[in-house]
This record gives sequence, C-alpha cells and structure tokens, in this order.
Amino acid sequence: MSNSVFSVISRFVEEYRSSTPNKLKMIDAYLLYILLTGVFQFLYCVLVGTFPFNSFLSGFISCVGSFILAVCLRIQINPQNKRDFLTVSPERAFADFLFAHTVLHLVVVNFVG
Amino acid sequence: MAHLCLFSLLVLSLVLETQALTPTHHLTTTDVARLQTLLSQPFTDLKSAYYSVVGLSKLGISVADAAETCRFIKSNLDPSSVESLFFAAEASQALPGCEIPVSNDTRDLLLATVSEDSTASQIHQSVSALSSLGLPLASQEVVSALKARISKEDNVLTIILALQTASRLSQQAELGEILEEIEDLAARLDDLGGVYLQFEEGLEATALFVSAAYALSDHVDMEPPLKEDQVIQLVNSIFSKKSWDSLSEAFSVASAAESLSNNRFHVPVIVSAQGPAAISHSQPFLRLQVTNVLCKPLSSASVLVESATATSSKSAILSQAPFTLRDGVFELNFMASQPASGYYQFSVAIAGDSRFVANHVELKVKVSTRVSINNMDLSVVDKDQSIGPKTTRVEYPAKAKASFMADSHQIFAMTFQLVDETTGVELTPHQTFVRLHNQKTGQEVVFVAEPDSKNLYKFELDTTERKTEFDSISGTYALYLMVGDATLENPILWNVADVVLKFLDEEAPSTIQAKTLYTPKPEIQHLFREPEKKPPTVVSNAFTALVLSPFLLLLILWFKLGANISNFTLSPSTVLFHIGHAAMLGLMYVYWTHLNMFQTLKYLAIIGSFTFLAGNRMLAQKAVKSTSSGLYT
Repeated sequence: MSNSVFSVISRFVEEYRSSTPNKLKMIDAYLLYILLTGVFQFLYCVLVGTFPFNSFLSGFISCVGSFILAVCLRIQINPQNKRDFLTVSPERAFADFLFAHTVLHLVVVNFVG
Repeated sequence: MAHLCLFSLLVLSLVLETQALTPTHHLTTTDVARLQTLLSQPFTDLKSAYYSVVGLSKLGISVADAAETCRFIKSNLDPSSVESLFFAAEASQALPGCEIPVSNDTRDLLLATVSEDSTASQIHQSVSALSSLGLPLASQEVVSALKARISKEDNVLTIILALQTASRLSQQAELGEILEEIEDLAARLDDLGGVYLQFEEGLEATALFVSAAYALSDHVDMEPPLKEDQVIQLVNSIFSKKSWDSLSEAFSVASAAESLSNNRFHVPVIVSAQGPAAISHSQPFLRLQVTNVLCKPLSSASVLVESATATSSKSAILSQAPFTLRDGVFELNFMASQPASGYYQFSVAIAGDSRFVANHVELKVKVSTRVSINNMDLSVVDKDQSIGPKTTRVEYPAKAKASFMADSHQIFAMTFQLVDETTGVELTPHQTFVRLHNQKTGQEVVFVAEPDSKNLYKFELDTTERKTEFDSISGTYALYLMVGDATLENPILWNVADVVLKFLDEEAPSTIQAKTLYTPKPEIQHLFREPEKKPPTVVSNAFTALVLSPFLLLLILWFKLGANISNFTLSPSTVLFHIGHAAMLGLMYVYWTHLNMFQTLKYLAIIGSFTFLAGNRMLAQKAVKSTSSGLYT
C-alpha cells in the first residue's frame, strides 16, 4: 500500500520536474511562500491567542486572497489551457492579477488597523 | 325588530346624554360693579364720553352729573365730522334734557354720507345720528347703500354695523336681506370645545354681534336664528372675561348684557346657589339666586325642583317641589323632607317666561349632619378566654379613668357605634381611625376601625401580631379616636384612654434614624475598561520573524529555478511601470501608518492610472516580442 503511494508520489514529482514550464514553477514557488505565511499566522493565533483579532483576520485573508489570485494567474498562463482562455493573453492575465491585488491590499491594509 | 329597538334606544340614550348647556361663565354682582366703575371713569374726549354715557345707560345706571356731561358734549362737538355728530347724538339721547342744536348743514352732511361710497361705519354713524337727532331719512336708500357695502366688504365688523344700522330704520323698509346676514354671520362663529362660541376677531366683535342681532330681531319682531345652545355658548364667551382692557370693550360687553336681558326672544337664566350648596339642621334652607346676565333677579320666574335623588342610593326624595321667593332669593326647606346625610342631585326647572334659555339646571347639594358616638366599650380580653372580659364604658368626651394593660396574653378590644345625632340613624363615615401615640418616644401608629354588618365598629389590638408596627417598644400609649367625613359637621378627635402595652423581646429603643435621603452619597469611582492582556513582546517578535521567513525561502527558490532577470529591458515604460508599482506598495504602507481611505484612494487613483498606462505599454511590448519570437511552448 505505502509502496504504491510512494511510487505515485515519486512519479508525480518526476513529471512535475520535467514537464512543467519554468514560469509555472515560479508561480508554484510563490504559492508555497504564500501558503507557509498563512500557516504560520494561523499557528500564532492557535498558540498565543486572537488578541488583535482584526489584524489576524486581515493577514490571513490577505494570504488566502493572494493564493487564490495566484492560482487564477497560473491557470490562465498555463499553455495547456490556452483553448479555454482565447480572449485572455498572459499579459492580460498578469495585469488582472496586479489590479486584483491592488484592491485586495487596499482592503487588507484598511482592516489590519 | 329587536335590532331596531336596540338601535333606537342607543340613539335615544345619546340624545339624552347631551343635555342642554348651562352657562359656565357669567357676571357676578362684583363684576357688574367693576364694569360700572370702568364706564364711570372721567372722560377725556367725545368718544370716551359716548362710551361711558351710553354704556352706563345700558346697565340701567344714569350718569352722575347730567348737566355737566351735556355741556361737555356740546363744547366738544365738531359739526363737520360725522363721527363727532354720532357720538354727540347718541350720548345726548341717553341724557335727560340734553338737546344738540342741529343746522341745515349738519343735516345735509349726514344725509350726504348715506351712499355706497362711504364705509359701513360712516353709514352707521350718520344713520344713527339722524335717527337720534330726530331728522328724517330715506330708509330704502340706506338699505341699498348697506347692501352694496356688504357685497364689497364681506368682513364681520361691516356686517355687524349693517345690522345695527338696519335696526334704526323704518319698519316698512325691506330689511329681509339684511336680516339673513344674521344667520350667515352666526355660521362664522368659532366653536371652542363646545363651550365657547366667538369670532376670531375677538370679544368685542362677538359682543357687538349679539347686541346688533337682537336689536334688529326685536325691531322686525322675528326670532333670531340662534339655537339655545349657541346663545349659551355666546354668553360663556362674552362673560368669561372679567376685566376689560378698553372702554370700547367694556361698552360692547355692557350692550351685549343689556340685549340679552331685555330682548323679546331669548333671555338666558343664571342659577347659582347662595354660598355653598350645603344644608344641615342649623341651615335647613337651600337658597338659589336666579338672575339674568346682568345679575338682576328674575322675580317673574317660578322655580321648581323637578326631582331630587340621592347620589348613593338613587332614590328620589323630592318631586315637583316649588321654591319660595324671599328678598330676591329663592329658597326651599329641604330638611323638612328629612333627608339622610350625603349628596343629592337636584334637577331644577325655571318657568314663567317663554323667553328663558338654559332654564334646566342640575345641582349637587350636600346634606351634612352631626355625629355622636354611642356605646363606646373598651375591654381587655384574655387570649385563652379563661378570665372574662372586663368592659368599661366611656362617654364622649370624657376619658377612661384607669389605663388598660395588655401584654402578650391579652387582646385589647374596642367597640362603638356612630349615629346621626338628630335622627339616630347609623352612620359609616369615611374616616374612622384609631391612633396610638407614645408620649415618650413620639411614635404614633394609626389603625382603621371597621364596621361589621350591623354597623357596629370594632377595633382589636393583639400585641404579638402588631409587634412590628410598634417596633416592640413597650410603654404607655394614648389612644385617640378620629372620625371624619365630608358630610359631618363635627369631626371628632377624642382621647379615649391610655393603654399600657407590653411586648416580648423588647429591643433597646432605637433612635429613629433621620432619613439619609438628602445627604451626599458615596462617590462612584469609574472603572475604565481594562486593556486586554497582550502576549509578551518576545513571543510576538519571534512569530513576526517566523511569518516573514517564507519570503527568504521564496527568493531562494526563485533563484534556484533561474528567474529570468536578464530579460529585463530598460525601456522607459518598463522602468516607469516598476517605479509606479513600487510606489503603490509604498502607498499601502503609508496608508497603514498615516492616511485614511479617502486620501489613499485619491493617491491610488493618480499612481494607479500612471502605473496602468506604463504597465499596459510594457506588457504590450512584451506580448509583441513573445509572439514574434515564439517563446511560448
């Protein structure tokens, strides 16, 4: 059982390493960063307490929002999905990404207090 | 059928409930005297002379010095002024033996004033002057002039003056249209709460309307279209003011009072009891003053009690009993019917003249009596009934010689009867209190004595039961009996006896604490909200570092993946884009520390649009480059 799981995982990693374009790998690294940041914030809240609750919420929502926007960007940029996004060029996707981030950060900074 | 009966019964009951009004305001003799004093003031000019002389004549009083007044009028007369002639003519008419010399010019002037072009007041003055001076006038011309005037000026005062003028004209003239104005004018009166009826122009206008309407109605011998209730409401309005600001106001009230007392159709009747409407054995007569609005007694009237019912039992005591007139006051010996003490509702009718208005009056009469206490028995009864009660009888107003002792084994009891002194009927007054007063501590306790079914009053004091009222303070208490009622002439406060009470568990007599209501209260310290417990700074700092650490990881990963920085072209749009983007991130930081949303949005709009343009350019260039070079796999 564990053998098959392990072999699946190693095969997945191999596939990923070889067939994923660099751009997507960069975005994946960014996603990992965002994920870790969110996890560490949540850990603090669990361990120490929710004292400035609004700050915790705004930080956490920022992580979640950024993660989602980055995933959207990744989907739109992926050349394998090109047929689904005929009207959206990668540059357009990036511009959307930046604009959405601006709005997200405006709200987050407003709420962080 | 039953529904119809029920409905008609309901309507009937509603109609009966709305009884005829009776005047709530009227002039008393002092008010009439005050009016007379005001009108008797020494006059300064012809106008005030007119008001005083004619006003007093309306009250039925003649001026003190008629000759002097006549001389004053003649000397102040200005023959070229219609108003002056009017005042002089009217005043001289009221004075005996006063004649104003009339010249042809005067007559011509007065006749010329009667035209459509003069104001209503001028027409009124000239017609009245002509009539008072005995000069002929053409009534029909006057009528047409008045009609023209009324159609031009439709206000209240004009119409009132027209009515007054019409009452001086010949009876053959066509006064029908002017007569109709009374009804129209009456419709313009304001009804205030169903009690008052007056013009919004004020008291003077209302009073002048009343005198003008009745003057004209008497002149043409037709009843004015005013209902009884309206007449009473007018009486209320006119006579509610008891001190008058000006001579003209006093004059108008006097003329209204005169017309309401002496006209041929409606004479309001004022009924008031002389003194309080209360009778007793010492005062057996119920006296009523029945007068007209000028406070003159109506001797021709016959006053009758239609029914007198007791308010408590609703049984009729009297029916159709006449009052007898004595010295201008109507009196009735009510005590002769031997009424029990209490309140009675009298329904009184005044007959004798068909002109009387408001001649049904409801009165509340009180019959009072003297009370006497019978069979006052005091006793101390043992609780276990082993020893028989010793009853002591005390006669009012003596005090029991020996004092009574009662401790926890005994009950102190008191019984008595309250009867009417003259008739011997048992009474139940409103207040029958038993008061125990401790002379040493000044404490007093009051109880109520209740009558039983046979109207015998009983009071029992059990020392163990009543411990709390007395604060368990033993000692000698003076016992008082207090009897009082609105219908009793002799309320009683009687020190019956002294009672020595012994309580168990006597506490040291506590000094009665002065009430601490008005002393300053303890100060309240405000407790501010405690700030929440914060974790130690070390922990916060550690976690801040932990949260920022993945950024390093990101940089490392990007470097390892081979971030494509070499493709960074230094074209202006790219540089500008990156500067703009950095500025936006910087703005976010500044927003966090200094700005508010509105300022941020303002700056963001500026930087954002700049960045957008630059970014657009840059990405477009990039897109062109990538499609041309086929970088995408």
